Amino acid sequence: MSFREKSAWAMIAILALAGLYYYQKIIAISLAAGEAAPPIIPLVIAYVVFIIIASIIVMPIVAATSGKEANAPADEREELILNKAGNWSGYALGFAAVAGLFNYSWTHDGNLLFHIVFAGLMLSQIAEYGFQIWFYRRGV
Amino acid sequence: MAKRPPITNRVKELRAEHGDMSQAALAEAIGVTRQTVIAIEQGRYSPSLESAFRISRVFGVGLEDVFGWEGEETETAS
Repeated sequence: MSFREKSAWAMIAILALAGLYYYQKIIAISLAAGEAAPPIIPLVIAYVVFIIIASIIVMPIVAATSGKEANAPADEREELILNKAGNWSGYALGFAAVAGLFNYSWTHDGNLLFHIVFAGLMLSQIAEYGFQIWFYRRGV
Repeated sequence: MAKRPPITNRVKELRAEHGDMSQAALAEAIGVTRQTVIAIEQGRYSPSLESAFRISRVFGVGLEDVFGWEGEETETAS
């Protein structure tokens, strides 16, 4: 497995863990309140900080198991994979944004709009790494 | 699965003919990763024109001695 594929798996794990933690809290607060929880900015900051710290801890470990490949810049195939995965994941984010807007037009719930778009952002990040793995394995 | 490019190649064969050159050595010579050389050999990736020229120069043969169009004979290196 290449360094970039290992990195993608690591990022999927980190993002999934952070996302699960974030939405577990949001769902618990929403259930207790009986309506969609308002945006909780400290929780959003905690989500971002967790991802940064986990990446700082995990990436050197992944790099250490990949030899000098870890220091090499992306070659032409990898650039193509990164671009294509980024492009495809943009559709996931767009879909979530449109779904959120439609939901808002019916429910007029701005809090729910925030959570739907934020979930779309999380999922599109995970999808980007997932697409990278797909293209590394199946060809681009 | 991604559509396979209709380009054939003799990279693996040419490596064997050149003293069993390793995939890593070829990758370093043309400036790509070993995984990219593997993908080219397996027909999962068509290299850029620049990399195709680099590969043919490493083996000292013409471009069409390395790459061909599916269904057409690839010229053999003289």
